[in-house]
Amino acid sequence: MFSAKAKSEVLREVVDVISTLVDEAKLNLNKDGLSVKAVDPAHVAMLDLSVGKDAFEEYSADDQEMGVDMDKFKEVLKLAKAGDIISMDYDEEKNRLIMSVGNITRRMALVDTAGMSDPKAPNLNLPVKVTVRAEELRQGIRASESVSDHVALICSPDGFEMTSEGDTDSVNLKLPKDLLESLDCKETVRSLFPLDYFSNMVKAASSAGSITMFLGTDYPVKMEFTISDEKGEVHYLLAPRIESE
Amino acid sequence: MGVDIADIVPAKQIKLEELKGRTIAIDAFNAIYQFLAIIRQPDGTPLRDSKGRTTSHLSGLMYRNANLLQMGIKPVYVFDGEPPKLKSETIAARSAVRREAEKEWKKALAAGDLEKARIKASQSSRLNKEMVDQSKELLSLLGIPCIQAPGEGEAQASNMTRKRDVWAAASQDFDSLLFGADRLVRNLTISGRRRGRGGGPAIPELVLLDSALEALEVTREQLVDMAMLVGTDFNEGVRGIGPKRALQMIKKHGDIETVCEKEGFDVENVQRVRDIFLEPLVSVDYSLERSEPDEDGTVAYLRDGFDFSEERVRKALRKMGEGRSLMRQKSLDQWF
Repeated sequence: MFSAKAKSEVLREVVDVISTLVDEAKLNLNKDGLSVKAVDPAHVAMLDLSVGKDAFEEYSADDQEMGVDMDKFKEVLKLAKAGDIISMDYDEEKNRLIMSVGNITRRMALVDTAGMSDPKAPNLNLPVKVTVRAEELRQGIRASESVSDHVALICSPDGFEMTSEGDTDSVNLKLPKDLLESLDCKETVRSLFPLDYFSNMVKAASSAGSITMFLGTDYPVKMEFTISDEKGEVHYLLAPRIESE
Repeated sequence: MGVDIADIVPAKQIKLEELKGRTIAIDAFNAIYQFLAIIRQPDGTPLRDSKGRTTSHLSGLMYRNANLLQMGIKPVYVFDGEPPKLKSETIAARSAVRREAEKEWKKALAAGDLEKARIKASQSSRLNKEMVDQSKELLSLLGIPCIQAPGEGEAQASNMTRKRDVWAAASQDFDSLLFGADRLVRNLTISGRRRGRGGGPAIPELVLLDSALEALEVTREQLVDMAMLVGTDFNEGVRGIGPKRALQMIKKHGDIETVCEKEGFDVENVQRVRDIFLEPLVSVDYSLERSEPDEDGTVAYLRDGFDFSEERVRKALRKMGEGRSLMRQKSLDQWF
């Protein structure tokens, strides 16, 4: 059993966070809320999302899995304005999700979850933790995107840096310690990341005020932020690129 | 070629994109045969240079690798060494098929039946030592690793997946599963024009050994026994037994010896064939190091040696360059 009502902007955030990595996802539902664990097809990034039932206007669910095509979800969201309430009910008999917005009802066939496993997050030893205002990161990404397709994230005890090197131009964002929300860093670390993934992940944090990153050298970055008025928690993991010779 | 178990092994269609950043060990003979079979003119004549030498294999290797490298996929080509002695009958039978196909191709051409001519021509494809050497030369100019197997190339490629040196083996044959490949990619090196399973253009598919064994409810040893009942490159199998019946019988009786005993079948060289699959001759001494393509060298080799268009070769080399950046991306797998 699953029946819920949510504001369209809350669902939009959830969908953005998921569709950044995958086209289809398995939603794990239980009485306390929903969660999604997914790895993108290229195994470059991973998502661990949990949304508490308080994020919804109404919510009730038994333990169950639901395979969802994210594009279909987006189609329904396009019909809604901010503030509209979208209702969702699981039709067990036909294995469909019935979504209503205004006077429109969409009966959505669900996808088979058989091949979708719940990936387990690896245990990483990431020595540095830094929390940056999301707006600063977004601006750094905008600047980087015009010169390169990758970005180095660098942290030292003095602050956080983002550097992009193109063929001719380079971009550098420097945030000294006092401009950071928090910094826990004893050694300098540096890893290089694909800008498209990183950018989409940060964009998915549209309502988050700040993003916490765990970093190492030539190691994946773990990003944490909240959505839906802090009732949803997002953990992303992104694999690094090999630094060019 | 190889054991025919396509109908009962679960395969998942994949996008080439999902192989981004992965190293794939390609069964070189298998791929080159495909190029020779497919890359032909409408009447079945292979591509030839002005000296009359076939160039279909070089064309396939050049342009297909350009596509793979552009997507950030890292190919490694594994070449067959000495075939196991038990394969000689299969090899003789195959050359007979080729000779016959060649005759029919000429007949069909004379009769003006282009469709039949093309089919027969592709069945007549022959791979000689010269072509193998040319293929290796081109791959080395492109900086793509070539690995020489002591025995069967598929056995070598499969063993490399087990050692986690490569992510998957690529071949059209399911023999890779018998050789123990953890992951098998099919339809990697063929263009969309060849028909895949159930018609339509060939779409790459991924077969996981563990999932296959789980779905069939057998062990790898039993899968090998089952294949022997159906017939492999190294033994004839039992007349009239297809994969589905073979599977049932192996599940019922446990192994091929018992099946033969209970059903009154006669399968020769059981233990020798089993050893070919389960204890294959493989080399552990190989390098997966790739280098930057020698662009001018490649152009010179193909243009001056085989009348390729410089413009097309340069274009393919540019594609390969585009993938270089993608290849630097790591996957999360190594941290699991």
